[in-house]
Amino acid sequence: MNGRFGVRAGLVAVVAVTLAGLVTGCGGGGDAAGSTTIRFVWWGNEDRAKVTKAAVDLFMKDNPGITVQTEYAAYDAYFQKLSTQVAGGASPDLVQLDRATLGEYQHRHVLEDLSPYVGKTVDVTGIAPALLAGGQIEGKQYAVPGGQTTQMLAYDPAVFAKAGVTPPSGPGQSWTWAQFGEGLRKVAATGVAGTTDFGWAIDWFEVWLHQQGKQLYTGDGKLGFTAADLTRFWTLTGDLRAAKAVTAPEVTTKMDGSMPNSGLVTKHAGSEINYDSSLSAYLSSYGPGVKAAPLPADGTTSGMAAMPPVTFAVAQRSAHKEAAAKLLSFLVNDPGAGKLLGVARGLPPNTAIREQVCGAAQAATKAVCDYEKSVAGRIGPATGLWPTGSAAVKRDFQRGYDDVIFGRTSAADGAARVVQTAQQSLGS
Amino acid sequence: MTQAVLDRPRAPERAVPRRRRAGQGPGYLFLSPWLLGVLVLTIGPMAASLYLSFTDYDLFDAPHWVGLDNYVTMFTRDDRFWHAAGVTARYVGLSVPLKLGLALVVAMLLNRARRGAGLYRSAFYAPSLLGASVSLALVWRAMFSTGGTADRVLAAFGLDTGGWVDQPQFALLAVIALAVWQFGAPMVIFLAGLKQIPKELYEAAELDGAGALRRFRSVTLPMLSPVLLFNLVLETIHAFQSFTGAFVVSSGRGGPSDSTLLYTLYLYQRGFTDFRMGFASAMAWVLLVVIGVLTALLFRGSRRFVFYAGEGR
Repeated sequence: MNGRFGVRAGLVAVVAVTLAGLVTGCGGGGDAAGSTTIRFVWWGNEDRAKVTKAAVDLFMKDNPGITVQTEYAAYDAYFQKLSTQVAGGASPDLVQLDRATLGEYQHRHVLEDLSPYVGKTVDVTGIAPALLAGGQIEGKQYAVPGGQTTQMLAYDPAVFAKAGVTPPSGPGQSWTWAQFGEGLRKVAATGVAGTTDFGWAIDWFEVWLHQQGKQLYTGDGKLGFTAADLTRFWTLTGDLRAAKAVTAPEVTTKMDGSMPNSGLVTKHAGSEINYDSSLSAYLSSYGPGVKAAPLPADGTTSGMAAMPPVTFAVAQRSAHKEAAAKLLSFLVNDPGAGKLLGVARGLPPNTAIREQVCGAAQAATKAVCDYEKSVAGRIGPATGLWPTGSAAVKRDFQRGYDDVIFGRTSAADGAARVVQTAQQSLGS
Repeated sequence: MTQAVLDRPRAPERAVPRRRRAGQGPGYLFLSPWLLGVLVLTIGPMAASLYLSFTDYDLFDAPHWVGLDNYVTMFTRDDRFWHAAGVTARYVGLSVPLKLGLALVVAMLLNRARRGAGLYRSAFYAPSLLGASVSLALVWRAMFSTGGTADRVLAAFGLDTGGWVDQPQFALLAVIALAVWQFGAPMVIFLAGLKQIPKELYEAAELDGAGALRRFRSVTLPMLSPVLLFNLVLETIHAFQSFTGAFVVSSGRGGPSDSTLLYTLYLYQRGFTDFRMGFASAMAWVLLVVIGVLTALLFRGSRRFVFYAGEGR
C-alpha cells in the first residue's frame, strides 16, 4: 500500500510541476516596474507602416513610461490574425478597424466604449462631428476616425492622354457615366483596359446607389437595395467588360484593394476606383504620375462621401486601456505625429492638423489634399454606419461578382443570390 | 523476411486483473508528460469543440446552447457547405490516385536504379519535406498566375490557358498539382515495400515466361498490396484535411468563384472570418465522421485486394 501511495504522490508531483511550467509559460510578458507595454496593430502597406512606426516612436519619446509594440499586415491577413488573437486572450490594445468591421467587433463586445475617455484622455474636439460619427454606435464613441477619405478614380494621365481622354480635374468638375464609359473605351482601343472592373466592391456600388437616391443599408441595419438595383449596376459593368473597357475576370478576381493585386499597378488597366487614402500608395507603387479624378455621376448627387478610411479602437480585454487611449489621442491630435503620418490614412481627421499638413504639402500629400479640395463642394457626409453582418455581405458581394464575370451565372441571378444571402447575414 | 508492413490488428488483450494494475504506477508516471499533452492538447479541445458544435459560439462572447441548429443549417440551408463538399470530393478523388500512381512509378524506377539511387531518392522526397510550407504554396501561386512561368511555358506550346490560379476551371487543378508533386512520402514507403519482395518470385515468374506487365500484376501488386492500403488510407485522410495549398493559392478566399473552396477552408472561413465558431466546430465533427466512415470502408474493401504474406492464400 505504501508503495502505491508513493507512486501516487510522485504522479501528483509530476503533474504539478508540468502544470506549473504551463502556467508560468502563459503568464510571461510581465512588465518591469513603472513601465507599461501596449500593442498597436493595423493593416496597410510599407509606406503606412514606416510613418506609423515613426509616429509611435515619437509617442514613446514623449511618454517614457509606455512601450508600444507594433504589428501590421495586409488587410485579409490582419483580420485573420486579429480575430484569433482576441479569441485566444492575446488581444492587442489599440486596433485599426474599417466600416465593415467596426460594427462586427463592437457587436461582439470586443471594443471598449471610449465615451468615458472623451474629454479626458481622448481629445475629439478637433474632429468634425460628421466625421466623428463614423466611430459612434448607438450614441457611444467606440472608435475614433484615423483620417478622412473619399472615393476617387486613380488614373495614369499618360495612358489617358494617349487615348485623347482628359478626366475632369478642376474644382467642381465632373463627368457623366456616358462620358466615363466612352473614355474607357477609347483607352481600351490603345491596348490596355480603361479601368479595373469596379463591379467587384460593394463600396463602389454604394456610390452608384447613392446617386439613385438609395443606400446600401437602412438606418435600422436592413438591406437598402433590391436585386434589380444590383442587376442594373452589374449590367453597366458587364457592358464595359464586353467591350474590354474594363479588366478581364482573371485580374478582377484578385482585387482586394491592395497594391500588389491592383489592376492599375499591374498595368492591366489605365485607372482604378479606390479611396483617396490609397493615393499615396498608388504613387509609390505605380509611379509619381498618378492623378485622382472624381467618380462619374449623371445627376447633381455625386454619390461620393467623406468618411473615415479607418478608425482606431481600444480593446475591451486590454489591460492598459488608459495608455492605449493616450496613444490613440496622440496619433489623431499631436502636430508632430500629424506631420509624420501625413496622408497615410487619408486626410488627417483633426481639422487643425489637416490645415497644417495640407499647407506644407508636397508630392503625395499634395495630391490627396488637392483632390479633396477639388471635390469638397460635391461630397456628402458619411452615408451611415455599416451594420453587423456587413463584413459578410461585402465578401459575398465580391464572390457573387466572381460568378458573374466568369460566366457561371447571369448578372440577375448573381444579384438575386447576393441579396438573399445578405438578408441572412444581416438578420443574424 | 517478408514481414508485411501492416500486420492485422490483433484481438485486444483481455483486461488485466486488478492486482497486476497496481504495479503499473511507474509506467503511468513515465507516460505522464505525453498523457498530459494528449489530455490538454487533444482530448480537451476535441471535447470542447463537440460541445461548441451545439452552440452559437462566435469566438468572443460566451456560447449559447442551440441544440442541433448548426447541423440542420449545414445540411439543409447552406449551399456553400455542399459546394465545398463537392470541391473536396473532386480534390480527394483526383489528387490521391494521381499522387499514389506517380509515387509507385517513381519508386519502381528507383528500385531498379543502381547508381545515384540515394541522390534521386532524396531529390524526389524533398518536396514532401517542404510541402506543407506556406512559402512553397506562394511559389506555386506565382508560377500558376497569369503571366507566370506555367502560363508562359504552356503558351509556348500553343496552350494559351492563362493563369491557372486566376480561373475557376483550372484553379483546383493547380492545387491538386501541388499535392501530387509532394509524392515523396508514399514513394519512400513504396520503395521500402518493393525492396521486401523476394527476388526469387520474379525469377520464378520469369522462368515461367511472364513478361514485365504480368510480373507487375501477379507479383509486384499483390506483394505490395498491404503497403498500398497503408498509403491509400494515409493519403486519403491527408487529402481530406488538406488546407494550406488552397488557402495560400486563393489568398484564403477559396476563389476564384469558390473553385478552390475545400471543406477545411470553408470551415476556417466560417470560424475565423464569419465568427461562427459553433458552426465551424459542427463542420469539423462532420468531417471527422466522414473520414472515419471512409477509412472503415477502405479497410473493409481491402479484404478483397490486400494479400498478407504467410496467409497461405
